[in-house]
Amino acid sequence: MVASTSKSLLRRLADEIASLLRDDPRRVIVGEDVRDGGMLGLTRAAREDEALAARLLGGPLTPAAAIAHATGLALAGRRPLVILPSASALIEGFAALRELGRISASAGGERSSAVVILAPTGPGFGLGGDGAESPEDLVAGLPGLRVLALGEAREAPALLRAAAGFDAGEQPTVVFLPRTLLLRELADEDVPSGSFPRALGAARRVREGDDATIFAWGAGVALAEAAVDQSGHACAIIDLSGLAPLDADALAAAAARTGKLVIVHPGQRNAIAAEVAALLADRAILHLDAPILRVGGADGPLPYSAEANALPTVEAIAAAIAEVATY
Amino acid sequence: MEQSPWDPEGVAVGLDPEGHLGDAARPLVDALEPRALYKRLVAARLLDHRLGRVGLPMWAPAAGEEAVSVAVALLLGDGEWIYPGLRDLAIAPMLGMDLDELARQVLGLPGERGPALYNGRPGAISATDLGVAHAPEPLGLHLALAAGQAHAHKLAGGGKASAVIFGEGLTTTGLFHESVALTAAGDLPLVLICKSQLWPEGAPPEAGLFGDSVAERMAACGLWTRRADGADVIGVYTALEQAFTHARDGRGPAFVEVVVTPLYNPDVPAHRDPVERLRRFLDHEGLWTPAFEEALEREILGQLDRAFAYARGAAPEEPR
Repeated sequence: MVASTSKSLLRRLADEIASLLRDDPRRVIVGEDVRDGGMLGLTRAAREDEALAARLLGGPLTPAAAIAHATGLALAGRRPLVILPSASALIEGFAALRELGRISASAGGERSSAVVILAPTGPGFGLGGDGAESPEDLVAGLPGLRVLALGEAREAPALLRAAAGFDAGEQPTVVFLPRTLLLRELADEDVPSGSFPRALGAARRVREGDDATIFAWGAGVALAEAAVDQSGHACAIIDLSGLAPLDADALAAAAARTGKLVIVHPGQRNAIAAEVAALLADRAILHLDAPILRVGGADGPLPYSAEANALPTVEAIAAAIAEVATY
Repeated sequence: MEQSPWDPEGVAVGLDPEGHLGDAARPLVDALEPRALYKRLVAARLLDHRLGRVGLPMWAPAAGEEAVSVAVALLLGDGEWIYPGLRDLAIAPMLGMDLDELARQVLGLPGERGPALYNGRPGAISATDLGVAHAPEPLGLHLALAAGQAHAHKLAGGGKASAVIFGEGLTTTGLFHESVALTAAGDLPLVLICKSQLWPEGAPPEAGLFGDSVAERMAACGLWTRRADGADVIGVYTALEQAFTHARDGRGPAFVEVVVTPLYNPDVPAHRDPVERLRRFLDHEGLWTPAFEEALEREILGQLDRAFAYARGAAPEEPR
């Protein structure tokens, strides 16, 4: 019997990145310290392979230059994977990110913008400040980008492979990786082999249940699961997975099934949560049996000792579930 | 002739202000065919005049800057890209874009060739088959895109280089410094072409002037640099040819500062005009007559008017 190996999700992603480089010679990695393994260690496996080292492209410590650099490489036919130290770098490099989304609209759409950006997001590393923030909604509002959020640690390697393969079309893609998930240890048998189990960006039904439907993404999915357990109600949980575009049909269908909806989101205000609420009010109004409730966390900036407050508490989500379930 | 305050120092002279050619430049000028070169400069000037009548928002004239467009179009090779600014539109027709298509894109209109294109700023054009990139709206972003393009050349190893054109006002931006750092750190085959002015009447804060010469600043950053006089098309061509050779040979980025003089200022002496300076040379050589000039201008203006009328769907105007 072969002993099971446990590896951190970061290590598994590092293996996947090396494998992606081997599979397609057009691929290059852009990011801070990537030639030395990267700030998160995501290029450690690639660095150990001499054949791949030439495609680990370091650069200045500036997100705008890194994103635009990768965009230029993609314009020239390369397939860059940008590893950012933090999702907050997307905001620092906002002009370049916006331009990346515009490439497909410029010059008659004849040039490639096949860039994938990996961005650790939200609390989890004990950083506070920028490192506690979840700017997914700012990024999802930019035209031209595909925006994905990892909601299940085990799916991460397959999600990365599907995104880097542009399974849903050659569109610049930002993958948000919740820091709470990145530090998970995963045994071999817990990580499904094979391709990503659904269309890229399609919502994932995490749980079935008739009392209410909980919508969440990223780090919020695990919180929703804990809150449903605590509430004692049988709730469906939907992981948005695709933040832009939203899997609108699946979300509307899931809403119609229970008519009692809770949306879990980071921070106090959130454009994705508001968009989902508006979408469901529009598409499922005849099925609604309670107000659509949104449960968020605290606004930043937060001191590092209190960074977890950026996400809603399990108790607050459970209270919202009880409120709609008994409405 | 006395040096005017618009004449740059530290440049290698091809054509002097009176249009006299140094002996060393003679073979180059013969190879470039001086009348053909002159036609290109005049065409770029007349295109600028024509664009001035289009009514583009935020449009600024490029008269006086034509030598850069002409030299880049001559030097750019197959598979190489130019990331131009908005005042370098003349490059595309010189690379082969037909004027109907240019007019259609400048006007932002749909046409037989397809829907209206977003090319970044109003009036910008692009042509993927010719290696002409669009003009991103965020200031300086095209430098970093061009750096990525150059990085792809380096990875491919085919000895190609790409180029980017910008004004000196951009040299204070973060993206300028980031892009310079990126190209220098990666030894990327990129030719950075900065059009600067001398501001004898005082530079506005927007010019971002640190001392007199952007080239000196970039030399201090460790870059290969040249400074050229934008009124001297031979000097500009020579500096840019050296820069392309440097970049294509794998010796890293090359930075060329081209000192241009906006011609709308009535105090500017005639020799600051690259068209006039080459005209003087042709005149000395017996290659220029008023009749030649008149025929040339009539031909080009007629082509431009027909192209813009056609793009607008109107009946072609009568040639002037």
